Amino acid sequence: MGDCKTQEMISAEETDILQEIMNIAFGRAAADLAEYIDIYVILSVPYVKLLRAVDLPHYIDTEINSYDKVSVVEQKFWGKFKGAAFLVFPTGTGKKLITLLDGGAQVFESDPIYELEMESFREVGNILIGACVGKIAELLDDVITYSPPRVVVEKKHCGVVPVDLFEENSMAIVLKTLFEFNENNVSGYLFIVTSQESFAWLKSALYKFLSQYE
Amino acid sequence: MIKKILIVDDSPVSVKIMKSCIPKDKGYEFSEANNGEMGVEKYKEFRPDVTFMDLTMPVMNGFDAMQAIIKYDENALVVIVTADIQIKAMARAHELGAFAVVKKPPAKETIAAVLEQANKKLAERC
Repeated sequence: MGDCKTQEMISAEETDILQEIMNIAFGRAAADLAEYIDIYVILSVPYVKLLRAVDLPHYIDTEINSYDKVSVVEQKFWGKFKGAAFLVFPTGTGKKLITLLDGGAQVFESDPIYELEMESFREVGNILIGACVGKIAELLDDVITYSPPRVVVEKKHCGVVPVDLFEENSMAIVLKTLFEFNENNVSGYLFIVTSQESFAWLKSALYKFLSQYE
Repeated sequence: MIKKILIVDDSPVSVKIMKSCIPKDKGYEFSEANNGEMGVEKYKEFRPDVTFMDLTMPVMNGFDAMQAIIKYDENALVVIVTADIQIKAMARAHELGAFAVVKKPPAKETIAAVLEQANKKLAERC
């Protein structure tokens, strides 16, 4: 699909509004997490991209290709805004999260590490994804239902997003943000993807949001 | 009295929202910058009475830009307007000399109140 066609689907102004909404939403999510585990989350400028759904898995694989292995929390959401969120961390993050969530307690070899890592990712994922997607929905006057989070620990960085997530011939919007925890050397990506099904509603919701300020 | 306002934010939508929250009947003169570094340059050129500054920006973030502005002009009134609502971020902004910290998206009433406080501060200096 050519650039002209994709530009028709989401304009520069719509991209700006969505970027600002993602900025506000991830700020809320970071504040919730920081309150829960006494960290400071360094935020970056979010990025919005429109692409063919079929190219989505490759795009995300490329974004995270500096990671050898990854741990992923995936959560689907349904409302007028419909899609999936993928929280991606590099190798070794699980043990750091266990320590953070445990208030600095040391992790021993005898501890059930895998289960603790799963639980830590699930907890952090629930907060970051729930607060971020929830705030986007709130700002756009929508109500969202979530699937339970699916956690995958230490897998190869390829194939984070299933190829059949959205219809093959449709388009998708990716909202991406990179974050770091100031302490503990933890960083990761949050990708929120929405399918073409939501586009018509999304465009009108974005302008409705902006119209409050005109 | 406030005459000139500088808005430093990388998001055109955010600038539009900020401007819509500022009373239109006061005849303020505006200038804008889309990153912290440009914000510092604009400050020196434009000499605003009040600066609204985002935190998360490319090239130079709002913390560094505010520090540079206050180093240049210790009387600068810099209002941080940010989506980063972590307690530590807000505390750091105050420590570095922010006149006020406002959460995004801003409300008209909040901005009007901040401008009123800024006017009082400026009046005290006269």
